[in-house]
Amino acid sequence: MKNTEAFAESLARCGVKYHFAYPITPATDVMKRMAVILPNYGGEMMQMESELAVSSALAGAACTGKLVATSSSGPGLTLMHEAIGFMCAAELPCLMIDSMRVGPGDGDILGAQSDYYVATRGGAHGDYHTIVLAPSSGQEIADIVPQGIRLAYKYRTPVLFVIDGVSAQTTESTTLPDYYDYSAEFDTADWAFTGTQDHPKRALITGSYSHQDGFDMNEKLRAKYATIRENEQMWEQDQVEDAELVVAAFGIHGRMCRDLVFKMRAEGKKVGFIRPISLWPFPERAFTALPDSVKNILVVEMNHGQMIDDVRLSVNGRMPVHFLGKTGGDMPMNTLAEMIAEANRILGE
Amino acid sequence: MENLSSKYGKTLNLDKLTSYCPGCGHGTVTRLVAEAIENLGIMERTVSIVGIGCGGFSHHYMDIDAIEATHGRSPSFAIGYKLARPDNIVFTYAGDGDTCAIGLGDLLHAANKGMPITTIMVNNTVFGMTGGQMSPTTLEGQVTTTTVGGRQVPHQGYPLLVPEMMRAMPGVKYLARESVATPKAIRKAKKSIQKAFECQIKGLGYAFVEIIVPCPTGLKMKVKDSYARCGNEMTDYFQPQVFKDETEQNDVA
Ligand code: SF4
Repeated sequence: MKNTEAFAESLARCGVKYHFAYPITPATDVMKRMAVILPNYGGEMMQMESELAVSSALAGAACTGKLVATSSSGPGLTLMHEAIGFMCAAELPCLMIDSMRVGPGDGDILGAQSDYYVATRGGAHGDYHTIVLAPSSGQEIADIVPQGIRLAYKYRTPVLFVIDGVSAQTTESTTLPDYYDYSAEFDTADWAFTGTQDHPKRALITGSYSHQDGFDMNEKLRAKYATIRENEQMWEQDQVEDAELVVAAFGIHGRMCRDLVFKMRAEGKKVGFIRPISLWPFPERAFTALPDSVKNILVVEMNHGQMIDDVRLSVNGRMPVHFLGKTGGDMPMNTLAEMIAEANRILGE
Repeated sequence: MENLSSKYGKTLNLDKLTSYCPGCGHGTVTRLVAEAIENLGIMERTVSIVGIGCGGFSHHYMDIDAIEATHGRSPSFAIGYKLARPDNIVFTYAGDGDTCAIGLGDLLHAANKGMPITTIMVNNTVFGMTGGQMSPTTLEGQVTTTTVGGRQVPHQGYPLLVPEMMRAMPGVKYLARESVATPKAIRKAKKSIQKAFECQIKGLGYAFVEIIVPCPTGLKMKVKDSYARCGNEMTDYFQPQVFKDETEQNDVA
């Protein structure tokens, strides 16, 4: 099945009850599939009239403690940020999918990884973060959705899955999870807004608070984000122990790194790879732990260089960090041959 | 302070002094909403979704769960909430700025969806909290801090008639405009607010009540003069009436 559909199936099978969305390529297949399957799980997909309405309805439903989700692409995510910032301030769990496409502006419907900045830095105001997970295959989507739900509820925060539009529309075989409502592992009784029959009045105020309340809220969030940074860095790596060159890439280019390393190692070249899976928190530890054998890092992205900033911050000047990237065109990404050529060029320097 | 809940019921929280300015219409409307909730016995399952602006404070004076939504988006918040918890009663409460300037798109689509939610729009023809700027409902010629020569229709358009826009929507089952200009008007407003909640309790569809009120501060008027304006110019243009009452029909409760 298409990976967009793998998202929909995984969300529904893992306990998502309500999905709000507005059509946009290349994310639309998620909402279409949700519209068909969610009623079988006692839920519903509701198509809204704009992404502003989508994220606001998402926030309203998330207030009840139930598991809610949305799916969109770059221009839609831009509009959703008002309520994403709200949900971070209000500490509401939800799942979001950004099927990234070429931008800026309304961009093109071709796949890209151009939303790295907006995903990891946030598009709304104030000091906040969303957890950002970047699966690179249909199987990883199925495997990572339960983890995303647990993180969303454990930390009471929106979790954003980012996938480039090429991977999103790739068709591949995926083993889907059996039905299990992961959100039921978490008790929402002490915070959900369900009416005062079982608790005294609760008020969700994320603005117009007293100065001290605002400070306390921000400090609470700061401490939460520090805990997430400490405990939730996720990545895959291979062959870095004796590597001279490490290739760092996420999503589809990260997946291609396996072949790159296999081919170059077969030629006796000491190349390894790091594939970040959590983009926020960024897996800094993967880079700080690199052995002294590593003389260069090559970052490959489907954009003009966004994750490279986090790689540079992580290595903090220990070694040069190079970049290879492409976005748009008939082939909106670098080929494996181009990646290998650039790796060889750096090794030969 | 003496507890007055034996007289006014438990919904209205009388232990707090309100932050509304003296003579503000929000005080009356907030009380009417609380009384409707009390009369209908729905306090424990009711959730208030308030907008940004002076109306955002309304929930402080009610002992019910409350969510302060982002600018203009309370109708979409309410849609999401109602979908996830259909047995709860959810209403939005906001001023004309929040409801029909920044939030008009969300409002009209929520109304057109016809889901059983209730909206109270308090119209004082001005942005009160931010200091008296023009709102979509500012009357022609009305002086505000951003229409210093008075609102000019050729540039700024006509004062927006929101219930008139909703009238044709079949999903809207109760639709009224009321005012707080006189004791008699307040009694009518009380009835309409109660009907708007009944409409939701019966699961009939969307209910909307606009209430014309004075904002002495935003209009820079004495309380007495602002009430006179409410009963004259404001209600001349925004004519109080029940546009639609289908609460007795198709009772699915
Ligand atoms: S500014 Fe106007 S609307 Fe706001 S509290 Fe004062 S009188 Fe009421």
